[in-house]
Amino acid sequence: MRLISTLFIVFLVVSCKKDDPEISPVAETLDNGMIVLCEGLFQYNNASVSWVNFENGAISNDLFVSKTGRQLGDTGNDMKQYGGKIYIVVNVSSTIEVMDAITFKPIQQISMIANGTAKQPRSLAFSGGKVYVTCYDGYVDVIDTMSLTVTQRIQVGSNPEGLSVSNNKLYVANSGGLNFPVPDSTISVIDLNTHTEIKKITIGINPGGVITDSQGDVYAIIRGDYAGVPSRIVRIDTQNDVLAETFSFDATSVYSMNNQFLISFYNYSNETSSIGLFDPLTETLISPNYISTAGITTLYGMKYNSVKNTIFILDAMNYTNTGYVREYSTSGVELTNYNVGLNPTKIIFK
Amino acid sequence: MFYRLFIALFISVNCIAQQDSTQLIELMEVSYIPALKVNSNELKSKEIQEMAAEDAGELIRKFAGVSLKSYGGLGGLKTVSMRGLGANHSAIVSDGFSLTNNQTGQVNLGQIQAENITNFVSVLGTSSSFIQPISAQIGGSSFIIETFENSFSDKKLKIRSSLKYGSFNQKNGYLGVKYAPNKFQFSVFGTYRDSEGNYPYSFQNGYFGVNEVRKNNDYQDYNFGGTVGFKSKKITFRVGYKKTNINQGLPGAVIFYNQTQDERLTTNSDLIFGDVVHVRNKFKLRGYASASSNSMNYLDPTYFNTAGKIDMDYRNRSATGGFSVNYDFKNIWELFGGIEIAISDLKTNDSTFALPVRVHNFALLGTRIKFNKIKFEISTSSQYVHEKNNNGIRAKDRFRLNPFVSITGNPMDNKWIYEIWYRNSFRMPTFNELYYNNIGNNLLEPEDSHQFNVGLGYAPRIRKFLIKIKANAFYNRVENKIVAIPTKNLFVWSMQNVGKTDIYGAEGVLSVDWKFYSKWKLSSDGNYSFQKTVDVTDRNSPTYGDQIAYIPLHTANLDIAIYFQKTGIRISSNFVSERYALNENVEANKIDGFVTADISVFHQFKIKNVHSLQLQANVKNVLNNSYAYIRSYAMPGINYLISLSYAFN
Repeated sequence: MRLISTLFIVFLVVSCKKDDPEISPVAETLDNGMIVLCEGLFQYNNASVSWVNFENGAISNDLFVSKTGRQLGDTGNDMKQYGGKIYIVVNVSSTIEVMDAITFKPIQQISMIANGTAKQPRSLAFSGGKVYVTCYDGYVDVIDTMSLTVTQRIQVGSNPEGLSVSNNKLYVANSGGLNFPVPDSTISVIDLNTHTEIKKITIGINPGGVITDSQGDVYAIIRGDYAGVPSRIVRIDTQNDVLAETFSFDATSVYSMNNQFLISFYNYSNETSSIGLFDPLTETLISPNYISTAGITTLYGMKYNSVKNTIFILDAMNYTNTGYVREYSTSGVELTNYNVGLNPTKIIFK
Repeated sequence: MFYRLFIALFISVNCIAQQDSTQLIELMEVSYIPALKVNSNELKSKEIQEMAAEDAGELIRKFAGVSLKSYGGLGGLKTVSMRGLGANHSAIVSDGFSLTNNQTGQVNLGQIQAENITNFVSVLGTSSSFIQPISAQIGGSSFIIETFENSFSDKKLKIRSSLKYGSFNQKNGYLGVKYAPNKFQFSVFGTYRDSEGNYPYSFQNGYFGVNEVRKNNDYQDYNFGGTVGFKSKKITFRVGYKKTNINQGLPGAVIFYNQTQDERLTTNSDLIFGDVVHVRNKFKLRGYASASSNSMNYLDPTYFNTAGKIDMDYRNRSATGGFSVNYDFKNIWELFGGIEIAISDLKTNDSTFALPVRVHNFALLGTRIKFNKIKFEISTSSQYVHEKNNNGIRAKDRFRLNPFVSITGNPMDNKWIYEIWYRNSFRMPTFNELYYNNIGNNLLEPEDSHQFNVGLGYAPRIRKFLIKIKANAFYNRVENKIVAIPTKNLFVWSMQNVGKTDIYGAEGVLSVDWKFYSKWKLSSDGNYSFQKTVDVTDRNSPTYGDQIAYIPLHTANLDIAIYFQKTGIRISSNFVSERYALNENVEANKIDGFVTADISVFHQFKIKNVHSLQLQANVKNVLNNSYAYIRSYAMPGINYLISLSYAFN
C-alpha cells in the first residue's frame, strides 16, 4: 500500500508542475525599432507580435502578451497605424485589436462575430476617422475610430481581400477565393460619402492586394489560378473607374517605396521568387530583378523604411519554422536579419 | 484553400471504416508466439471493463511505445504512432481483418468502441501468426482487437450487456448474445451511444487561466451486427455483418475569442466478412475475405462561398481477399506465407478530386528454424500497388520487397527470453496525399521504415508474486517521409518525400500480481517508454536534430488494481511528457506534459454462478488537470461515469 501511495503522490506532484510564463520586459514606450506582426499557423492560436529594438538589436517575440497578458489569437493578417492607434486584424479569431501607437497598451478588442458567425476580417484601410475592414463574408465593415464599434456594413463581392482609398472612394478586391476553382474577378468601388458600392470593375481572376500611387491611381493584383493563368498587376483609372491597363509582367504582391513600387513575384513552376522595381508615374518596370532573392527562403512581404533608406524583407522560411525579417540596402545587400515569430507578415516602424 | 487543406488533413481522417470482424485468439495460442512476448502487450476483458474505456484510443495509450494523438470528445479523432513511426505504419486488426482507410491512411481509434472488446494486443517483431491477415503480418506494427461477438464461445449461451450514464449527459447501451448449439454459433450485438459532449475545460491564455465549455461536441452512434460460425476439430468457419452509423458535431480547435464551430460529420458504414480456418496436424490454413463501404458527409453550414456551405460526400469502398498458411516440419522447421489482394476506391462529390482505384497485392514467404533453444526467423514480403484514376493523372505502379529477420531464444531457463529483430516496411501514400486538389502529389513514393530491436523478458514467480519484466531498446529510421510543404504560398501546400527521422528508444514494462492474505489480490502494470525521435532531414534546417512534433520524449503508465473478494478499485494513470506542436523545438511551440488519473470502484454480484451483475463507478481525470494531446484541442476536466453490467455465462 505504501508503494502505491508513494507512486500516486509522485504522479500528483509531477502533475502539479506548471511552468510559469516567462515575462520578458519591454520598454514602456516603443521607439527606434519595429513592430512585426507574425501570422502564426491556422488553429495553433499562435499569432504574435515581435518588437525589434534597432538600437541594440534586441528582439522580444511576445510583445502582445507582455503588454496585454493574453495571446493575440489565431492568424494575424493585417496591422496598420492610423492616428494614435495601431489596429491588428486577427482573421480566425475574428477580432480587431486596437493598441496605443506609442505604448502598445491595449485600448480595445473588437469582436468581429455577428449572429454567431465569425466575419473573418482580413485587411485594413483608413479614411476620414473611419477604419475599413474587409470581411470574408462579403462585406466591408466600417469602424468608428472614436467609439471603436462597427457602425456600418457595406456589401461587396465574395471574400474581399485588399482595399485602398483614392479620390474619396474605396477600392475593394473581391477574390472569391472560397469558390476556387471559380474565383471572383472584380473590384468593388465604394463611395466614401454615401458608404455604398457604386460600381464593380472586372479586372481579372482572383484579385488580391490593392495599392494607391502618389497620383491617386489604384493598382491591384490579380493572382490567377496558381497554374495556367498568370499572376499580374493591373491599373485602374480612378476618374472613370475603369480598368486602364493589365501589365504584361508577373506580380504577386506590391509594396510602396517612396513614389515607386516594389513588386514581388513567385514563380510556381520553378518555385523561385524575384523582386522588381516599378515606377507608377511612368508606368514602367524599371528592373525585374531589383533585389536578389538568393538569401530568402520564402518571400512573405516587404516594407521600405524611409528613415534608414533600407528595405525590410519578411521571410516565412518553410511556414512551420520561425521566420526572419531581413534588412536589405537599396542596392540589394543583406545588412542584418532578425529571428521573429511564425510567418512574419506586417511591419510598423517606430 | 486553407480550409480545404484542413479538411484534407484532419477532418477526413474521421472518414474511417469501422470494420470490425473476426479473429481467433484461441488459435493464436497454438501458433509460435513465445510464452512470454517481449514485444507484445495485452489488455484483457476484465481490465478493459474496469477502465471503462470508451474506445480503442483510450486503451491503446496504455501500451508501451505508443504516442496517442487525441482531438478530444466522444468519437473524436484518435490516432496512434508506434515507436515514432507515423500512424499509417500501424495496422489495426479486428477479429482477423485489417481496418484500413486509403483516403487518410489512418484509422480513427475514437470510432472503435471498447464495450465489446474482449482482448486488445499490441504486436511488434516476431509475434505475428498465420491467423492474422497478411497485410498486418508485414506492417511496421499491429494492434489486434478481439470482440465478444466474433470469438468462438465454449458455452452454449453467453450474454454481455451494460447501461452507462456519465457526465455531459452521456448514455451508453450495449447488448451482445452468443448462442452455440452443437458446433454452430450465432451471435448478435448492438450498441448505442448518445452524448451532449459539452465538456468544461480550462486552458492558459497568456498569463490568464480561462475556463470554457466545448461546444458543438454532441455525438450519437449505433452499431449492430451478427455472425454465424461453425467450429469442429479441424475447421472453423465464420461469416458476419456489421453496420455503423455516427452523427457528430465537430468541435474543432479551441480558437481564442471565437467559439462559432458548427461543422458536422455523419458516417455510415457496412461491412461483411467471412473466413475459414483449417488446422490439420502440421498444416494450418486461413482463408479470409471482406467487403466494406464507408460513406461520410462533412457539412460546414457557414462557409463564405456562393453556396454558403461546404457539403462534401466521400465514399470509400474496399474488398479484400487472402490466405495464410503455415507448415511445420517436425517442430524444428516451419514454412509460412500467404497472399492478400485488396481493391479500394474513393468517390466524392468534389469535382476537383480524383476518382482513384487502388489494387494492392501483399505476399509473404518465410521460414522459422528451431535450433536448440534458439529460433531463427527470416521472411520477405512483397507488395505491388497499381492505381487507376478516373479523373486525372494516376500514380505510377509501386513495387517493394521488404525483409524481416529475428532471433529469439531462452538464455537460461524458460523464465527468460530474448528477442533481436530487424524489420523493413513501408506505408503507401494515401489518396489525399496523392490526389487531394492542389496539395496532392501523384509522384509520391512510399514512406520507408527500418526497425532494429533488442529485447529481454523475465517472468519469475517469487512466492506469492507473479512478476513480468520486459525491456526493449530500439533504433528506427524513417526515410522518404511524406511531409506537407507549403511550396507555392501558405494556401497551396504540396506533399513531398523529403523527411528523414531517426528514433532512438527504450521501453520497460513491469507487471506484478500479488495474492495476499486469503481474499486479497493486487495487480499492477507499469511501463515507461523513451523515444528520442529527431528530424535528420537537412543539416541546415533549424529543425535538424529537433524532436518531431507530437512525439513525447517520455511516456509512462501505471495501473494498480486491488481486489477484495468481489469488490475492487483500480487506479489508472498515464503520463505524457512535454511535446512540441511543430518540429522546431522553441518555447512557443511547447505543449505542457501531463498526468491523468482515473479511478474506478466496482462490485460484482454473482447469482447461481451463471449470472453476474457488476456495478461500477468511474471518476476520470480525478486530478482535474487541464491537458491537451494536440495544440488547441483541450481535453475534459474531471468527469464521471456509472455503469451497470450484466453477464450470463
